[in-house]
Amino acid sequence: MDSIRVSFRAAAIALVLVTSWGIASLPLAKTGPGADGIPAEKVADYVHAVLEADRTIYTTYIVNRMQEKGIVPAAEHWEQESALPLPAQFLQHSGRLVAESGNGIRYRLIGQWPIYQRNAPATDFERKALDTLRRQPERPVTGIVASGKKHYFQAIYSDRAVSSACVTCHNSHPLSPKQDFKLNEVIGGIAITIPLE
Amino acid sequence: MSRMPTSPQPDRGWGLKAKLTASMLLVGVVPLVVGLGMAFWQGSREIREVSGESFEALATEAARKLDLLVAEEIAHTARIANDPTIIRELERRRDAPRDGSPKSPVAALTDLERRWAAGEPAAVKAIMDNPLSALLDEHYAGIHSAPGQLLPQVVRASTKMLLLTDVQGLLVAAMGEKPEFRHDRAPWWQGAFHKTVGRLYIEDVRFNQQVNAYVFTISVPVMDSLRYEVVGVLHRVIDAKEFFTPSTHVIRFGKTGHVMLIDSKGIVISCPFLPTGVSLSDRNLIPLVTPQQPGWAEAPSDGHGGQAASVIGFAPLPETSRATNGSSENGSWHTFVWQSSDELFAPVQHLFIWVTVFGTIAIALLAGLGFAAASRIVTPVQQLQQAAQAIARGELRTPIQIRTGDELEDLADEFNRMNQQLKAAFAGLTDEVKLKTREVQVLQQSTDHILDAVPTPILLIDADEVVRYINRATRESFTIQDEPPAPLSSILSLDPDAHTRLRQEFHADRNGSDSQAGANPVESPRDPLAPAANAGSHGNCSDLHIGTRVYHYQWFRLPARPGQHDSIGLVLRDTTDESRLQDQLVQAEKTDSLSLLTAGIGHELNNPLFGIVGLGEAIQEEPSLERVKVYARDIVAHGRRMATIIRDFTGVASREVSNQRLSVSLEDELDRALAAIEMAGITVTKCYAGNVQVLALPDQLRQALMNVITNAVQAMRGSGTLTLSTAQSDHTGTATIADSGPGISKQHLPKIFDPFFTTKGQGEGSGLGLTVARRIISKFGGDVRIESLEGRGTTCIVTLPSLAATAEGGTWTPSESRSEPQPSPLS
Repeated sequence: MDSIRVSFRAAAIALVLVTSWGIASLPLAKTGPGADGIPAEKVADYVHAVLEADRTIYTTYIVNRMQEKGIVPAAEHWEQESALPLPAQFLQHSGRLVAESGNGIRYRLIGQWPIYQRNAPATDFERKALDTLRRQPERPVTGIVASGKKHYFQAIYSDRAVSSACVTCHNSHPLSPKQDFKLNEVIGGIAITIPLE
Repeated sequence: MSRMPTSPQPDRGWGLKAKLTASMLLVGVVPLVVGLGMAFWQGSREIREVSGESFEALATEAARKLDLLVAEEIAHTARIANDPTIIRELERRRDAPRDGSPKSPVAALTDLERRWAAGEPAAVKAIMDNPLSALLDEHYAGIHSAPGQLLPQVVRASTKMLLLTDVQGLLVAAMGEKPEFRHDRAPWWQGAFHKTVGRLYIEDVRFNQQVNAYVFTISVPVMDSLRYEVVGVLHRVIDAKEFFTPSTHVIRFGKTGHVMLIDSKGIVISCPFLPTGVSLSDRNLIPLVTPQQPGWAEAPSDGHGGQAASVIGFAPLPETSRATNGSSENGSWHTFVWQSSDELFAPVQHLFIWVTVFGTIAIALLAGLGFAAASRIVTPVQQLQQAAQAIARGELRTPIQIRTGDELEDLADEFNRMNQQLKAAFAGLTDEVKLKTREVQVLQQSTDHILDAVPTPILLIDADEVVRYINRATRESFTIQDEPPAPLSSILSLDPDAHTRLRQEFHADRNGSDSQAGANPVESPRDPLAPAANAGSHGNCSDLHIGTRVYHYQWFRLPARPGQHDSIGLVLRDTTDESRLQDQLVQAEKTDSLSLLTAGIGHELNNPLFGIVGLGEAIQEEPSLERVKVYARDIVAHGRRMATIIRDFTGVASREVSNQRLSVSLEDELDRALAAIEMAGITVTKCYAGNVQVLALPDQLRQALMNVITNAVQAMRGSGTLTLSTAQSDHTGTATIADSGPGISKQHLPKIFDPFFTTKGQGEGSGLGLTVARRIISKFGGDVRIESLEGRGTTCIVTLPSLAATAEGGTWTPSESRSEPQPSPLS
């Protein structure tokens, strides 16, 4: 199962590199909205597109196929059980790697009914954004948020239950507060945070 | 057979009973031992497996429980870290350098740090009693917690330090023991800060000087309000022993079974037996029990200092291990379930002991029952054996009594039947033997009587030259010094030469007979009383002089009994009188013949002599010269006749003829001889084969034939039939002259060819005719035989060698006159 871990790492690193390239190519750090350069909304869109694409590829062509062929399943405790990480975990772990790379841009999965409380919305903005997204999932909710004296651009995209695996896991996990999710329903959101300094 | 029936034979191995008992024991013990051994082995294995699986399950369960305990503790800490007041304060501190306040915060901090390190109460108070510290206290006391999230008393007591650092690792607030001021270089701080990303960091157990205990720490990053980056670290120091003891020490089973918690380096975090902080006694055990999956293993030691093989269950704490030292790669925590192998295998040991006890009882039972069974089987067999020995000695009187109802009883019945049949057979045999013995005795007595009745001395000598038997004749003939058995020399008084010769002959006869015995055993028994017809040819018959008597003796062989040497018999025949009589007889015959010869010669010569005398007297008185001449001629004739007689007598008859033999016709010579003889009143019948040629001198042959025919004619005395016949074979010609005369009496037949033997009266024949004829025929290589039956006539057969085969034997022509007999009366 080391090979799975290695392949997962490789995929994650590739994602990081792609993301980093996209970010590095944009002189965003010194530009706010309305300033010269690419607007933060655009950057978030780019990053989100890449994230979505990567995770879809991982879900469809790796996890689903591996499970269908009975080669290796995906499981929450994939490290102990020599399994593949769940697609949500794939995104979270890649987000951790991105954060650890120190490029400033970060993203994470949040939800109103998270299995783990650490994935609950941290701010009112996020909470409201999730509410909005449940009603209007098409477009992201964006805004400027502050932590102390630091300001950040945050874009929160709706995250749907793209495969039955997502629904099954959330509906059956003992820690899950809501267990009646449906396929394609908005389960939560992807929060992309870009510092504005 | 002289051995006692029950006496054990010294060279014999195990008896039947011992063998049967041993085999029964073996048959019982081997499957028992194998079965019990296999049961014991299988039992041990299953106990091991069952224990291992139970231990694994227990370890997994304990791991889950401890994991939850730690997770709960982390959740408590995280809740404090999520406190907005703390976050705001830490955000403020993060942003502080940008405040542009007149007083440099760096300098102020440095000052505070110095004073804290110096233990200045104001500085300590400034931190330990600031609002944040108070807030920590409140959280710790559960004021801000929901009712279900209160810290248990145990957890509260075990938490030795709770401190908060800002983004630079400097102490912001603290609770409990007084901590260091600066922590930015501490591993836990760097691990939890994790490049501003933040990460849960659980530190492995180690000894803490300030707390004076083995502690583990939980470091939770304090994220900013956006959860974007780390603004501080909440650090908690927990006494490991105190924290885990209530959870681990309650899980006990048996006397030694327990659960312990170790980290990936084998350091004991909590154990009812080992103190916290020590390492497992066997380092080799660590990799075996710290994999990332639960399991159980058979280890060569127990990790508690014992070296006995142990069964150990183990399981990792999954969530906790993920955060230990930053990640599960850097460390992990595991439960370790173990029970002392003495206790664990006690059931097996008990099983083994009981198995041994029951096995021993079973073996003893087997031995006892086997011995009893073997006795039951063997006793009748021994009875049978004794009975068989008794039967063999012929002593079994009572029938064998075996009532086992099985084959042995059948066998005993067979023995009884066999014994009866043997008895019957022996009884018949005894009668037979008695009868035969009597017959033998009778035979021996009759033999003795016969031998005694025989007037000839007979001695039986064994192989050692000892005389075993002598008959009555021997006793009477010789003065016996010693009764047999006695040496031959003491029975017969022999001179040394005769004794030596007898001994040599004895040994030669023994050896010769020995060598002949195999080749022709039928000849070896000889009748000692049979006429000694071939005695001379054997060479073991000779004369023996004993005293004044002469004995003719003969060896004969007596077949011996089996296993003994043959005896030699010696038959002596007193020939003293016989030889004397024979001498007298010979003398008498000689005298008789001489007188006969003299009479014959006298008679033959007298006739012509008287004629000559008479003629001489006549001549004296005869005046006529004519008559004188006639008388003189007669005198000459008589003289010649006398000369002829003398010539015949001396056997030089035909000296004038050359010795050259010629092939002459036998028939011609017969005819010529016949013509020279007066045949008045005789009928001659000729039956010639025709031209039988023989090798002879014609004159002498004619003379011989004439003699024979004359004899025949004279025998017929003027009337009868003379039959002449010839025959030719390969190498001989035969002439047969048969007359119808009175024949020759038996007593005369052997003397017929003796010189001067004649049955005719004085002057009728010289008694030399047949003698001369035989001499002539013998000279030619032929033979004359006379066959006669008294009253039936005499046949003389003359056989002569012929040239028939080589010369003209096959070309003779049959002549009418000779081919068939034809009587020819001759005057």
